Amino acid sequence: MTMPDFTLIAPQLIVLAAALLVPGLYFLTRNDKLVGMFSIVSVLAAGLYLGWMMMEGVTGSFLDVYAVDEFSLLLTGMFLMVALLVLLASLKSVERDRHHGEYYALLLAATAGMMFVACAEDLIGIFVGVELTSISSYALVAFRKNDPRAAEAAVKYLVIGGLSTALTLYGFSLLYGVTQTTNLEAIALAIGAAPTGGLLISVAMIIAGLGFKITTVPFHMWAPDVYEGATAPVTTFLAVGSKKMGFVAFFKIFLVGFIAAQATLVSDVQYAFAVLAAITMTVGNVVALSQTNMKRLLAYSSIAQGGYLMMVLAIMTPYALTGGLFHMITHVFMKGGAFIIVAALCYLSMGEKLSDYKGLAKRAPVLAFAMLIFLFALAGVPPLAGFVSKFVLFSSAVGFPGELVETQWIWLVFVAVINSAISLYYYARVVKFMYVDEGESIEPIKVPMPFMAAILICLVAVIAIGVFPEPVITLCENAATALMG
Amino acid sequence: MTDMILSLVLFTPLVGAVLALAMAGDLAKYARYVALAFTALPLAVTLYLVTAFDASSGYQFVDQYAWIETSFLSIQYIVGLDGLSLIMVLLTNVLMFLVVLFSWEEKERPNFFFALLLGMQVGLLGVFMAMDYFLFFIFWEVALVPMYFLINIWGGPKRHYAAIKFFIYTHVSSLVMMIGIFALVIESAAVAGTGQLSFAFADVSAAAALFTQGFQVLVFGMLFFGFAVKMPIVPFHTWLPDAHVEAPTAGSVLLAGVMLKMGTYGIIRICLEVLPEGAVAWQVPMIVIALVAIVYGALACIAQRDLKKLVAFSSISHMGMVLLGIATLSDIGIAAGAFQMFAHGLITAVLFMVCGIAGHNVGTRQIPLLGGLAEKMPNYAAFMMIGFMASLGLPSLVGFVAEFNILVAFYNWGLSEGVVWTIIIALASLLLTAGYYLWAMQRSIFGPLTDKIDTSKVHDVSVYEGVSLAALCGLIALFGIFPALAWDFIFPYASDLAAVLEVFL
Repeated sequence: MTMPDFTLIAPQLIVLAAALLVPGLYFLTRNDKLVGMFSIVSVLAAGLYLGWMMMEGVTGSFLDVYAVDEFSLLLTGMFLMVALLVLLASLKSVERDRHHGEYYALLLAATAGMMFVACAEDLIGIFVGVELTSISSYALVAFRKNDPRAAEAAVKYLVIGGLSTALTLYGFSLLYGVTQTTNLEAIALAIGAAPTGGLLISVAMIIAGLGFKITTVPFHMWAPDVYEGATAPVTTFLAVGSKKMGFVAFFKIFLVGFIAAQATLVSDVQYAFAVLAAITMTVGNVVALSQTNMKRLLAYSSIAQGGYLMMVLAIMTPYALTGGLFHMITHVFMKGGAFIIVAALCYLSMGEKLSDYKGLAKRAPVLAFAMLIFLFALAGVPPLAGFVSKFVLFSSAVGFPGELVETQWIWLVFVAVINSAISLYYYARVVKFMYVDEGESIEPIKVPMPFMAAILICLVAVIAIGVFPEPVITLCENAATALMG
Repeated sequence: MTDMILSLVLFTPLVGAVLALAMAGDLAKYARYVALAFTALPLAVTLYLVTAFDASSGYQFVDQYAWIETSFLSIQYIVGLDGLSLIMVLLTNVLMFLVVLFSWEEKERPNFFFALLLGMQVGLLGVFMAMDYFLFFIFWEVALVPMYFLINIWGGPKRHYAAIKFFIYTHVSSLVMMIGIFALVIESAAVAGTGQLSFAFADVSAAAALFTQGFQVLVFGMLFFGFAVKMPIVPFHTWLPDAHVEAPTAGSVLLAGVMLKMGTYGIIRICLEVLPEGAVAWQVPMIVIALVAIVYGALACIAQRDLKKLVAFSSISHMGMVLLGIATLSDIGIAAGAFQMFAHGLITAVLFMVCGIAGHNVGTRQIPLLGGLAEKMPNYAAFMMIGFMASLGLPSLVGFVAEFNILVAFYNWGLSEGVVWTIIIALASLLLTAGYYLWAMQRSIFGPLTDKIDTSKVHDVSVYEGVSLAALCGLIALFGIFPALAWDFIFPYASDLAAVLEVFL
């Protein structure tokens, strides 16, 4: 037996090793800045190594559990970017708290879990990664254990997370039962002959179980409460990180394994996803209209964005997956940036109500401008990143390049488009508060450096990807073709 | 360098917008000089382009770069001008320059105000220059955002409601149009046998001959809806009066003067050019929609008490005229429709400026409260009269040329279809138009000076307002007396287009 090639999962191992070292380092130094910086450096190191792997075009398989290809590399990179943004936002946000060692360790462990899911090619690999992230996030949400809101959010998250885990695991075991394997490629080969009944129950369990992670309606109830209760950087992590992990798991299971099942069954599941997508985006957007708390508003907007991404699972073409991956990446910067601004304002004790944002443009012009860009990008206003990614994603519902217009999903894209217009209302409302209304105070706000760095990264990315999307679209296309063949 | 001349026109205002925006604090009051300079330059270059343009050939001054080139997508930055876009670009740049002049004394956040005007100019010019659907759509949406802020910050008492209503109505319609564009692009890639979606106008047009009739009819509907809400057509027009009543004068001028034209421009440029069979199938519905807009707009005008709302509804009526011309699918009709776009742009700018002046120099725009203003404001009364007369189609002014030719084309269509009586509807609306304008004038500027409001502080137009109004009135007369100045650019384009359409009629 030869040694497996550990260099293939080196980025994951770097982050995991850092997660293990951080508590020790904190115990020895008691310096929160140092552990924070150490975590950032480790994420950057993993990112550098990953960048090298992408340049070299490394591919391979680690023990048939973790595959390295364009898809996994791109998404690993995306999760590292999420970790970097969240760490930058955390430096200041948690400085007045205790237990910094644990905080950064949990954050890094959760990141490692997402990175493992990105390259998993086996149900067990997916499950282990999802659980690593989930269990770390339960603790992260409860980080401020003396804050009743945080404690309530954590309990809610834990109970619902436990249920979701149980459902997922049951679904996985049934899938193993009907296909006799846990490897996704092997499942694709065996699934055509699998008994339909067992398969259907398994699929339903997986959709419900992982559906909690991606906040599909009706499994979304926990999200606004948890997002509101958690500290803002953790909320950022949940909304733009762990949710994406759920999507990656979905893409792997359904676009690699399940897609080879009997055509009628696949088509039924496609319709199920289409209906769920339509309901999810509509509920998310409509409920967001009446929110008065910024975190909750962004939480519902996240639910809606999840609905758009679910269109990929209904359409099931490489072009749709391209659009989906692209939208996931732009969403990291748009929603990440917006949540980090919320985090910065929470840190500055500005409050998180919509009315607290009145007159922000006069008090913090850069911050308000960044928020304006993020919100308009989320609404899909050109020439920003969110517009281009929605453009690609929505167009994939009309047809696949090279084939005639397919009318099957036109209704879905109409629903998506109307939702997009609804969302404009609540995003524009925030913009109105910031730019049109006068605030009670006109005292300028000084935003600490680490927040500013994270916000500027997002701002530059949102504008640059919007104006020059070609490199990112190419990466997404390659990733989509690598996954779906 | 000569290739980049159009991009220069397109992006000069963007540079100006960034500069103006940067002039915060004490510098803000100088933003107007930046705005004037950065609208004067594109105008000057446009005037040069008009002289250099060769009306007998198609797209000119084309500037082209590959922008997004992946295995699924091919999107180019490509801009160019043909006869139709040339006059729209000319109109945009003329109005922009004069609007900056008109707003010279804007006191509230002037740097932001002028930056938004310049930003909107980029969007508007881009729509008329783009030769790629992706580019077209981007500029289409970009033009909306500054208008949202203009209404929301500088508008009247109900501005928040009007701004968001405007934003959402037009956004929904453009998204429906976007789906239509997806369909066009995907279908054309499929019939051309490539797996790469090309968004260039030329590639889609090249494949368009192979589109099935059913596809054309369906996609024409989606695109038409997207464009028509912008025009606007009844019953999707309700955003327009709200937006106009609340918008600041500069916003109203650009909204009615140029932005509405984006809708009819899109109908000609995309619906008619690419989907001729769809156009033929939709001809009668289009004519009905146009007649409804014409008559409804005119009737609504009679009932208005707010001068600005009256002008807003008259825009609906006049844009219906544009559609009526286009819907005849004949060379004269299309050319006259495009000419009406140009004419209405100039005239409506005068009208909204006049309304704006009533608002801030007199203090109210309510017609029943006005009266006898000619006594206190002789220049103002003169401009108002020229504007109203031009709008109701007085011969020798620009509106007459447009409407006369539209009616000729419509009459010809009626003759060939055996429904010549429909001309009566169009003619009756002209009567209504003359009626509501004359009545409004009678009540506001003529007769004894009103005693319902305090007229002691009422003063005539300022120098800047006067200069911009006079320039516009001059242009109205110039193009009225020498319509060939614009007609000769449009007609060759229209007759080429009509020749294509005729095959399917």
